[in-house]
Amino acid sequence: MLRISKRTDLTKKQYIQLRLAAVIMALFTSGIFILIMGQNPAAIYFAMLQGAFGSFYGLRETIIMTIPLVITSLGISTAFKMKFWNIGAEGQIYMGAFAASYFALNHHDMPKPFLLLVMAAASIAGGGLWALIPGFFKARFGTNETLFTLMMNYIAIKWITYLQYGPWKDPNAKGFPIIAAFKETAILPGFMGIHIGLIIALALVALMHIFMYHTKKGYEISVIGESENTARYAGMNVKKIIVAAILLSGGLCGLAGMIQASGVHGTLSVDVSGGIGYTAIITTWLGQLSPALIMLVSFLFAALVQGGSYIQTVFQIPQAAASILQGMILFFVLGSEFFIQYKINFKKEGI
Amino acid sequence: MNRQTYIQLQNITKSFGTVVANSKIDLSVHKGEIHALLGENGSGKSTLMNVLSGIYTPDSGSIIIDGREVCFKSPADSIAMGIGMVHQHFKLVEVLSAKENIIIGQKGNFFINQKRLSEQIGKLARKLGLDIDPDKKVYNMSVGEKQTVEILKVLYRGAEILILDEPTAVLTPQETQKLFDIMRKMREMGCAVIIITHKLNEVMEISDRITVLRKGEAVATLDKSATNINELTELMVGRPVDLSIKRLENQKKETILKVSNLTLVDDDNVKVLQNVSFDLSKGEILGVAGVAGSGQKELCEAIAGLYEVYSGDIRYEGESLVGKTPREIIKKGVSMSFIPEDRLGMGLVASMDIVDNLLLKDYQNHKGFLIDRKPLKEKAEQLVKRLDIKTPGVNHPVKQLSGGNIQKVLLGRELDSNPHLLITAYPVRGLDIGASYTIYDLLNEQKAKDVAILYIGEDLDVLMELCDRIMVLCNGEITGIVDAAKVTKEELGLMMAGVCLEKIKGGSSYA
Amino acid sequence: MSRKVTSIMLVIVLALSLVFTAGCGTGASNGKVKVGFVFIGPIKDGGWTEAHYNGMNYLKEQLKVETMYRELVPEGPESKKAIKELINAGCNVIFTTSFGYMDPTLEAAKENPKVKFFHCSGFKTAENMSNYFGRMYEPRYLSGIVAGLKTKTNKIGYVAAYEIPEVINGINAFTLGVQSVNPNAVVKVRWSHTWIDSALEKAAAVALLDDGCDVITQHNDSTATYIAAQERGAYAIGYNLDMPSAAPKAYMTAPVWNWGVYYVQEVKAIMEGTWKAAAYQGGIKEGLLDLAPLTEVAPPEAKAKVEEARKQIIDGTLQVFKGPIKDQSGNIKVPEGKTLNYEDTMSMDMNWFVQGVEGKIEVQK
Repeated sequence: MLRISKRTDLTKKQYIQLRLAAVIMALFTSGIFILIMGQNPAAIYFAMLQGAFGSFYGLRETIIMTIPLVITSLGISTAFKMKFWNIGAEGQIYMGAFAASYFALNHHDMPKPFLLLVMAAASIAGGGLWALIPGFFKARFGTNETLFTLMMNYIAIKWITYLQYGPWKDPNAKGFPIIAAFKETAILPGFMGIHIGLIIALALVALMHIFMYHTKKGYEISVIGESENTARYAGMNVKKIIVAAILLSGGLCGLAGMIQASGVHGTLSVDVSGGIGYTAIITTWLGQLSPALIMLVSFLFAALVQGGSYIQTVFQIPQAAASILQGMILFFVLGSEFFIQYKINFKKEGI
Repeated sequence: MNRQTYIQLQNITKSFGTVVANSKIDLSVHKGEIHALLGENGSGKSTLMNVLSGIYTPDSGSIIIDGREVCFKSPADSIAMGIGMVHQHFKLVEVLSAKENIIIGQKGNFFINQKRLSEQIGKLARKLGLDIDPDKKVYNMSVGEKQTVEILKVLYRGAEILILDEPTAVLTPQETQKLFDIMRKMREMGCAVIIITHKLNEVMEISDRITVLRKGEAVATLDKSATNINELTELMVGRPVDLSIKRLENQKKETILKVSNLTLVDDDNVKVLQNVSFDLSKGEILGVAGVAGSGQKELCEAIAGLYEVYSGDIRYEGESLVGKTPREIIKKGVSMSFIPEDRLGMGLVASMDIVDNLLLKDYQNHKGFLIDRKPLKEKAEQLVKRLDIKTPGVNHPVKQLSGGNIQKVLLGRELDSNPHLLITAYPVRGLDIGASYTIYDLLNEQKAKDVAILYIGEDLDVLMELCDRIMVLCNGEITGIVDAAKVTKEELGLMMAGVCLEKIKGGSSYA
Repeated sequence: MSRKVTSIMLVIVLALSLVFTAGCGTGASNGKVKVGFVFIGPIKDGGWTEAHYNGMNYLKEQLKVETMYRELVPEGPESKKAIKELINAGCNVIFTTSFGYMDPTLEAAKENPKVKFFHCSGFKTAENMSNYFGRMYEPRYLSGIVAGLKTKTNKIGYVAAYEIPEVINGINAFTLGVQSVNPNAVVKVRWSHTWIDSALEKAAAVALLDDGCDVITQHNDSTATYIAAQERGAYAIGYNLDMPSAAPKAYMTAPVWNWGVYYVQEVKAIMEGTWKAAAYQGGIKEGLLDLAPLTEVAPPEAKAKVEEARKQIIDGTLQVFKGPIKDQSGNIKVPEGKTLNYEDTMSMDMNWFVQGVEGKIEVQK
């Protein structure tokens, strides 16, 4: 008979063993899969590392992918810390990108630094307000924010699609449904092919670390996440704090949208997020809501994706197979979480 | 008395991770005996009984029932051997009737012969002298009735060994007496009854033999007739303990809190507190007695600004607290600490360490955006030293501390804020005797400092010894406010059951 | 504590990567041609991407060159990454096969002057970047003849992706083909607003069938419309690829791409050193496009009619957009003596339907 119980007594050594076991299991299982495909697992793993870190180009792509993941994860972690399950980062990214693009497309004659600041502010407002809608309904009517934020994603994506195919369509694109590229004044500057979003992401990690662990507001958010009753008991204005935290959560996701539009895509499109809002939920969780860990996990995750892309080219394996590899590695790493939280007891049989 | 050994536990050891809950425990219980299992919280009583009822499998040791060694795979095996356990928290389906709850989970025919079933249950109840309506819904029942249903449920399944886990914690003195009568009847019928408790008076009243557990080990098994409360306490605690509480005489009579006609309603518009009026002076301890759920929690929350006042007034130092935010009330020097059943519901943040929990009432006094943890860390270390809190360090999450230590953190923090009015509910809930007396001393210390204290308690003996006056609540109404030095336990019990003080006085000769 | 674990893992990963990078750096190869393809869909989509994939394999067979590809590459910056990776893997000729790859391809062309680029269906070129497409309206016109002869209800359905010139000129050419044999038939248009989404395409087809259409054609990348037609006992004309097996009881023919012809021609020129960047557009004459062989489902009399028109298109006597052509409201859009050429049909002015089309183009700024 099996019994599952919560673990409280995990030692450091067991923790490391479990994590290592997960990685080894993942490599082993994926290895079988690779063998079935007729490839050499060692060569594939090696190529994945090489693709992610092995050249300046690969490393740069990994970093560029890490940037929005980190910022979005920081946003999600703010909400998660409060046990507000914000699954709506994807939509908040789009709405942030939309708000920034409005200024990029219509006011590109502003001086560049000023325009970029306006775009950033707009994206924070866009993402924040978009997140506030489910937040308001949760606070007022107790609606389930998980479903609500998820549904809001579809609305946001359809809104961008509408803009791209309708009112914002570039008249110079021969009828093709694309939005005009941003003018130079609306493009984030960069260095050696990496846009300035890297600096923003690093600064945000530091700021969010201070915010979460060393400010009153951060402390209040943690307490509310633990127990709203306790927060009220301690004299906190719970609703006000929830609203502020949700605004911050959505705002950060929105900023990630602006950075993707301005720094990577050079315009707004329905591909501007491409699932970052969902991926970031995984990195937030694996990063245990801690800014420093989130940065690390996001970087490793980006490396996994970059490595997966690289092996498609080098080994000419189908895109689906590369996705399966990434999925299996994730499965085991996330799966080990279960064994860290719980233990399984095998009961002795008896009469 | 029948001296035949019915249950024998030999060398039982059970550990959870690194914690040894039971270590080589031997226990034997006879037929026709009431056997008390006495011990402080965490001494391993419940674990041992869970082993006997098949919920836990022991790491080693054997269970012998009626001369046969058995090995339980699940509670079902234990029930089949005639063992029934009534848990502290009832496991009844609220919307079903007593009858339906009794047969639930039973094997039998698909169709239920309602009439025959009622008859059977009625017969069983009469045999035990139980007064129960088999068709009454559980949600209409009092706590005592629910417990009766639990006992009937177990007996209906043919239990000859009845285990009761802290059965009196939720009962009024009168209900307790009724329960004891049932237990005596069962003894006459030849059943073995095991009662888990930490209340010494009850042990002396009901049991035949007593096994004392301390830190997972069985330290002694005694005949009741051959022992006394002091010896039992010493065995339980491991050292002699002074069991008297000093009552400091209250000098001042300056009123600090005046509650008048306070009425509170819950989300369903049901009145949870009705026309409650009382006052509290500086340097006074006002006790609040009542069965659980009589409105104690709501009263505390209303004073602390956490529960919306429906009508009436709460005046603190002449100023109304109604409509003030919790923050404003805290600033005026009102401190509230409510220990709920799970101990962590309100007041402490389970996953945070002691420092961050001290921060809860302190952080708003910090200047600017940032929090400075340094002074609090020192404060936390002082607190740990002063109250003898057992923790690996001040940065250890409080949820990993034992119940008593958690309560010390909470009370310590509240006392540290130098309140003028201290509201404390169940501060010794689940604490061992030593720790409880530390807390009573702390409260008396505050009293000496002219702090007014509203003390919500469970143990009537303690209320009578510690408090100046006792207010009794029943179903949200005050049934009496009495001088603690003059009242008897029986009178308190009647008031807890809803009989007004005036009636009791009218019916008896003393005032 | 988990912080430590992850950082240890990271160090290991970094160390490994440093060790292994020593052996890396297989950049441009030694004068050999290696061709990379970037595809928008999966290689077995039964449509647009599969047609290009078949072209790639034809190229490989004919010229024995090494080829690589990336499938399911989203438009935008992702596509530039795929191009770069192909170049890093040694490709020195790159074909990108979706409109949205145009700007990323141009950027990559500027950054990699030694690599030769080809972008399909766009309008930008560079020193080392050609673009290529075809006069799809020619086989569309031929397929219209088949549909016009087949229909009994005189209602023909057309599932179309987006309101862009490429799609609109296809609808017009098809309708002109229909009316050349059956002036009473009308072509009903429904927009699917997707390039590839079987569910949406099928829904549009079903709506047309409900509207009384008994022949369906499409400008989309999946085979959903043929299947819908077969389920209703109606008939279908495909697109991109000859796929009779998808719906044998409904499928009559399809205007198809033979990209291999162009790929071989261009790569050969590169190998011989005669290549120059250009804007290429081919048709039936060049062998880039054709109408797939008619199946037994097609009306018997169609074969001769199609054959005749096909010959005339090749020798130039038949031009699809030769005036006079009237629009839906009867105004002359192309006057007598004037003919629209390929550039005209792909310009923004191609925002009207010919007479005989039932449907609307949302007018946009």
